[in-house]
Amino acid sequence: MNKTNSKPGDYVEIHLSKLIYEGVLLESPETETGIVLLKLDSGYNIGFNKKDILEIRLKKKAKETEEKVEIKKNSEKPNIAMIITGGTIAARLNPKKGGVDWLTSPENLFKFYPELFEKVNVVKIEVPFMKASEDMDYKDWQKIAKIAEKLLNDDNIKGIIITHGTDFLHYTSSALSFFLKDINKPVVLTYSQRSIDRASSDANLNLQCSALAAISDIAEIMLVGHASSNDDFCYAMPGAKVRKLHTSKRDAFKVVNSKPFAKIFPDRIEIISDYKRRNKEKVRIDVGFEEKVALVKVYPGQDADILDYYFKNKYKGIVLEMSGLGHVPSRRARNAWTNKLKEVQDKGMIVCAVSQCIFGRVDALVYSNGREILETGVIYLEDMLAETAFVKLGWVLAKTSKREEVKRLMLENFSHEINDRLEQ
Amino acid sequence: MPEQEQILDYKKLKFKCGLEIHQQLDADNKKLFCDCPALLRQDKADYIVQRKLHAVAGEEGSVDLAAQYQSRLDKEFFYEGYNDTTCLVELDEEPPHEINEDALKIALQIALLMNMKIQPITQVMRKTVIDGSNTGGFQRTTLIARDGFVETEEGKFGITFLYLEEDAARIISREKNKETYRLDRLGIPLVEVVTEPDIKTSKQAQKVALKIGEILRSCKVKRGIGTIRQDVSVSINNGNRVEIKGAQDIDLLPTIVEKEVQRQEKEKNVKAEVRNALPNGETEFLRPMPGSARMYPETDLFLLKISRDLINEVKKTLPKLRKEVEEELMVKGLNHEMIKLLFKENAVEDFKEFLKILDKPQLIAKILLVLPKEIASHEKLSDERINELLSKDILSDVILAVKKKKISESQIKEVLEKIAKGEELGEAIKFEKKETGEIEEKIAKIIKEKPGLSANAYMGLVMKEVHGISGKEAMEIIGKWVK
Repeated sequence: MNKTNSKPGDYVEIHLSKLIYEGVLLESPETETGIVLLKLDSGYNIGFNKKDILEIRLKKKAKETEEKVEIKKNSEKPNIAMIITGGTIAARLNPKKGGVDWLTSPENLFKFYPELFEKVNVVKIEVPFMKASEDMDYKDWQKIAKIAEKLLNDDNIKGIIITHGTDFLHYTSSALSFFLKDINKPVVLTYSQRSIDRASSDANLNLQCSALAAISDIAEIMLVGHASSNDDFCYAMPGAKVRKLHTSKRDAFKVVNSKPFAKIFPDRIEIISDYKRRNKEKVRIDVGFEEKVALVKVYPGQDADILDYYFKNKYKGIVLEMSGLGHVPSRRARNAWTNKLKEVQDKGMIVCAVSQCIFGRVDALVYSNGREILETGVIYLEDMLAETAFVKLGWVLAKTSKREEVKRLMLENFSHEINDRLEQ
Repeated sequence: MPEQEQILDYKKLKFKCGLEIHQQLDADNKKLFCDCPALLRQDKADYIVQRKLHAVAGEEGSVDLAAQYQSRLDKEFFYEGYNDTTCLVELDEEPPHEINEDALKIALQIALLMNMKIQPITQVMRKTVIDGSNTGGFQRTTLIARDGFVETEEGKFGITFLYLEEDAARIISREKNKETYRLDRLGIPLVEVVTEPDIKTSKQAQKVALKIGEILRSCKVKRGIGTIRQDVSVSINNGNRVEIKGAQDIDLLPTIVEKEVQRQEKEKNVKAEVRNALPNGETEFLRPMPGSARMYPETDLFLLKISRDLINEVKKTLPKLRKEVEEELMVKGLNHEMIKLLFKENAVEDFKEFLKILDKPQLIAKILLVLPKEIASHEKLSDERINELLSKDILSDVILAVKKKKISESQIKEVLEKIAKGEELGEAIKFEKKETGEIEEKIAKIIKEKPGLSANAYMGLVMKEVHGISGKEAMEIIGKWVK
């Protein structure tokens, strides 16, 4: 194929040796660079191998028209701010070109989520970065926290909504639960599991309910999303007590070992459990984070040498996702962990225990294997989620490396991450 | 009808007519984008999910909100699902699985039989549908082939497009702001055949529909009410195109077309609209002609590449058209009625399969078509139940038992009866070898009880009451008593 001056979005003729096709030239998929895609007049897309194309003849340049939208601010509606970070909820397929556009301007948001703007004025939109959540790390959490601090201390703003990819959303919600101190207003994180180009997208309900949560009395870091597969209401869930538990369903996020703060319908809130009330405190941030922490899942027959790797690479702390009530292969196992655990802790590494059961509390005292591990100095983290424990350990280790102090802080309840009463 | 043909001068009217035929496929009885069975159910749903649909920003980024759509957006939709036969894919809670390859092959067969050009690289599209009949707010559809033709007595007719797509959910009830759909039909594979608007008369419309129908039915497609839908588009004098939906009966097609032409002749301003066919061939207004639907790619799937190898493989398995199959069956010695029944019951493939086990066409046809019906009516079992009890596997095992001489031909019915009553196959084919003396005694008793009847009449009684004997054997014994 010869070079073409046609760009995605242009109306073109594609000349093959025997046939000529007309349609809109589209962007090739990233993984299919040898293919040219064409949208026919019927709307259907078909592809051609580049080597089969003799010529792409430009017929008509694409119109570069961005429709003007006016968002009317209404002084009677409460003001909120948004932080947009990426993910499905802020990605929009551009059917004209075939690629993905980010939704970052208020105008774009309004076009896709008019219902959000019925309830609130979105007076500020901050876009620190646009990333899939699996590409984020603690530096991104810190950026979000710094922006949130400013917005929360702005009297003009009643609450904030943070939109985010789903994969690692619960890490970010945990991080904000520790990074933001003396919280005074609602901080709502939300997401979408179904892309927003479809009429069935879950983003609509999630955003409507998020708007209601953001102007509510609940001054907490919370994740708001579908309570079930139904489009009827969302749950407002404690940021440090929530986990993604399904790869694709709308109600992917569930509170583990605790309860949501509230049920949020598009038009009302039903409180479920106790929460911190909206207040006049000044929000501070505490965003220190020790990067050298790890989260490791223990599996049958695993060699304890893995701990050497982390020690050699100067890791300060490690959260082990242990079996059951909090066990690793004991002295009776072929690959015993006990001595190695003792060794790395004696050399100063912090080791914490959570359970890969996800639900329930760890307890080292029930079995002798547990007591054996406990004696090495491992800190058992009650009913804390593994992901939350990882985030919290990084946060705590930025403050102190003293074992006793680390233990005290890890077991202090900062943001609902520990629940003393597990209900049925 | 001939008189109307005379009245309507199609040429002068600049008559234009095209067909759109939707046919469900039987792709191993699976759905197009998930592994659920393509099974319509009448029993109570296991769960109901409630959804709303929302305005979607269109190509230009503006909200695509035609006035008639607004009302849809205020509605609540309820979807009925079954734990064992619908899954998260139908619920729009899981991305589509890879396209059902059987369905793709059937679509390719149809394309080849219609002399179409197959699209080597194509993309599954999402066609926006916000009437609630699709949980996703779109229907998945793929352009498979284009530019073909079918040949009829009336000449060649162009086939413009062949699409492979998923069927929509079934409407169960409509209330003011609440509609309930059942998920069982959502995702059943479907082909849409679109003809060129080059049909010149109402009679041709019927001929073309019949021809396309014949081609479709020569491939593995679903049978029965609702598995094929025919829409016909009509315009005259370069006026607006009117689409008529729901012509179930092909015999009615010419009448529908003629009445529509007459209606358009009378009407001053023919509006572009969709009309519904009524049983008497008249039509009624359904809705204005929708604008072209918004189409965007199914981003959860790779591009669909239809390789040379796949096309060649499909070419090797191209089905014969019904006429050819009929001739084949005729040669096997089946009568016209049986052949018709085989097609009606969609049992031609099974018949051929069973014939490979036991080369007795008449007997196989009887086992496949006659006996299960007789037993069902005698035992008062529903068609569904009897098909379940006397499944194709069971029938195949029974035929094998005949071949291996475990049972005689005359015992087949009794075996099937026993199975229909709940006996295991292994039990049902166990027969006590009755002593000939014992059987002779029984027959003698029957003849003595009712003296003076003909040999044939005794035969009837004997076959009814004495088991474990073939007709030939019975006749021999009766012959000893009756001259």
